[in-house]
Amino acid sequence: MLKIDNLHASVDGKPILKGISLAINAGEIHAIMGPNGSGKSTLSYVLAGRPGYEVTGGSVTFFPPLPLAGGAGGGPETASEAGPPLTQFQVNDAPHRSGQAGGLTDLKLASGRGIDLLALEPHERAALGIFLGFQYPVEIPGVSNVQFLRTALNAQRRARGEDELSAGDFLRLARQQADALGLDMEMMKRAVNVGFSGGEKKRNEMVQMGIIDPTLAILDETDSGLDIDALRVVGEGINRIMRKPDKAVLLITHYQRLLDLVRPDFVHVLAGGRIVRSGGPELALELEREGYGELAA
Amino acid sequence: MSLLELPSNRAEEWRWSDLSALPAYAEAAPTGVVPADLPWIDCEISGPRLLFVDGEFDAAGSDPRGVKVSPVRDRPGTQPLADLAGAEARAGYVIALGANGAASGLVQIVHVSTGGAAHLSNRIMLQANAQASVVETHVGTGWSNLTTAVELGDSARLMRVIRVLKDGGAHTDFAMASVGAGASYAGVALVTGADSARIEHDILISGAGAYAEAGGALLARGTQKLEGVTVLRHATPLGTSRQPWRSVADDRATCSVMAQVKVDRHAQKTDAEQSLKGLLLDRGAQINAKPELEIFADDVKCAHGATVGELDRNALFYLESRGVTPEEAKALLTRAFVADALDRIGEEAVRSACYADVDAWFSTSSLVPSEVEGRP
Repeated sequence: MLKIDNLHASVDGKPILKGISLAINAGEIHAIMGPNGSGKSTLSYVLAGRPGYEVTGGSVTFFPPLPLAGGAGGGPETASEAGPPLTQFQVNDAPHRSGQAGGLTDLKLASGRGIDLLALEPHERAALGIFLGFQYPVEIPGVSNVQFLRTALNAQRRARGEDELSAGDFLRLARQQADALGLDMEMMKRAVNVGFSGGEKKRNEMVQMGIIDPTLAILDETDSGLDIDALRVVGEGINRIMRKPDKAVLLITHYQRLLDLVRPDFVHVLAGGRIVRSGGPELALELEREGYGELAA
Repeated sequence: MSLLELPSNRAEEWRWSDLSALPAYAEAAPTGVVPADLPWIDCEISGPRLLFVDGEFDAAGSDPRGVKVSPVRDRPGTQPLADLAGAEARAGYVIALGANGAASGLVQIVHVSTGGAAHLSNRIMLQANAQASVVETHVGTGWSNLTTAVELGDSARLMRVIRVLKDGGAHTDFAMASVGAGASYAGVALVTGADSARIEHDILISGAGAYAEAGGALLARGTQKLEGVTVLRHATPLGTSRQPWRSVADDRATCSVMAQVKVDRHAQKTDAEQSLKGLLLDRGAQINAKPELEIFADDVKCAHGATVGELDRNALFYLESRGVTPEEAKALLTRAFVADALDRIGEEAVRSACYADVDAWFSTSSLVPSEVEGRP
């Protein structure tokens, strides 16, 4: 679904990402862990297209999943992406040169459907199905959540050639998602994140994710600032919304606790702008036990 | 009109005005062509409707009910353009309500100016406890020059909304109001059209415990020059006043607001607030804000604020990362910015109409040539 190849990026001329390669397939949840300042948030912003985050090398290719076949009672198997499922992911010790297509054919993903993500504007990436959950959700006085999300959803639907959602249908969808995440519908009518507590802001991110129903969610420390109950609600939300054969998640986190709720298929350690180690869920436990010290060194 | 004596920019209260095009309008002949679709606001209870074309009452297009149309002449010589309007105007609208009277629904005045200079002189007189809501909407391409005298008796209430939605031309608007004890005057302007516009209020709080408000939203692009000017004088105790202005300037446009509060020596317990905020959508645009306080009483609360900024980049990215297009994101945030001024309009239908005007202003921006987008 997403192929990051030798990605380099700078902020204010300072190199932050120094050659990241990573492949995420449909149905997978990847966790990225790493010490403060290792480039985790930068990676999420670069993928979402934030202005000021300059890509200086490498490529990011997005492969939209194929539509479900016929819709005739397809089980989870039929919903997976075309082509053999992938179990490999690229790590930094096998870098691909930027601009070369070779890496793609290795991964059996080059079927002509790949989209150069870095060439797109943020809203175009969103319309492709990419969602960024913010570490610090922005407060927007004067714009209500409902107004914002309806505008966003309908802009995405227009971009995909779908019909816009009526006000009534949208409100039903919003209420359903707010209820599922324990956010009062009254808060959805208030200005975006204004007067929300830290935990409410994070819940609101998940409500937004539920309403937008993305294909690929990049969640930047969605667990930070949450109490134990809220963490469980958010973790269950991620599983409910995103744990599907045709979706994928890139989960950026510091803590094992969220990974107990949202079991990752792969764990990567980011340090100094590179992925220094990758492994299965057991890697997170090891990190929790031993810290980043040795890896980051 | 052979000789037009215009105020000079050297005078402080005219320093940001652009009156340069007025002499040409004074000489030009109007076309008299009235658009088929006039900007009447649909309300639950339809009230009086008055249509003026180039300063002349159009009886066929009007339903004045209780509102009279007659010459209004006894203008004090306070402001040169207002004096000109008083001298040149034929017949203006007169809303006169006796004690406890109320207008039968929203009073709507649509003024079309088709090319030349159109002068109008109006009067609103509400006696004790009377109440009215008035919306003036200005369209067309000429110069409309208005003066309106407002007198509010004790506990009378007036809401006056001025929408300037012209396709060009100039608009100069002067209102002099005196607000009696416990009475309330709320003047809200929304200016999206006109090459140049000046909305001016001179308000005297003449009775104890009165409320007065003058503010609005100025939305300018291209080379438009829009201006809000308020002098608000508290002459009696316990008065409250608000001046919420929101200016939005794009391209090479200029918005200017000059807001004055004067508190006389006996006007104790005055509560006055000025909030002049500007939003630059382009760094080539200009916003001027000048809050002024002149206070001679010692027990008052007077707050003033003036800020000019740009759209919050973080908010723009947040909206866009959810799929909102850059144009829509800009419009959403700008709409929220002017909401402080427009939300004060009590009548729902009028408020909605004003928001629709703001949305229309944004939808026409997509018709602006792409050089505006691509400019450094």
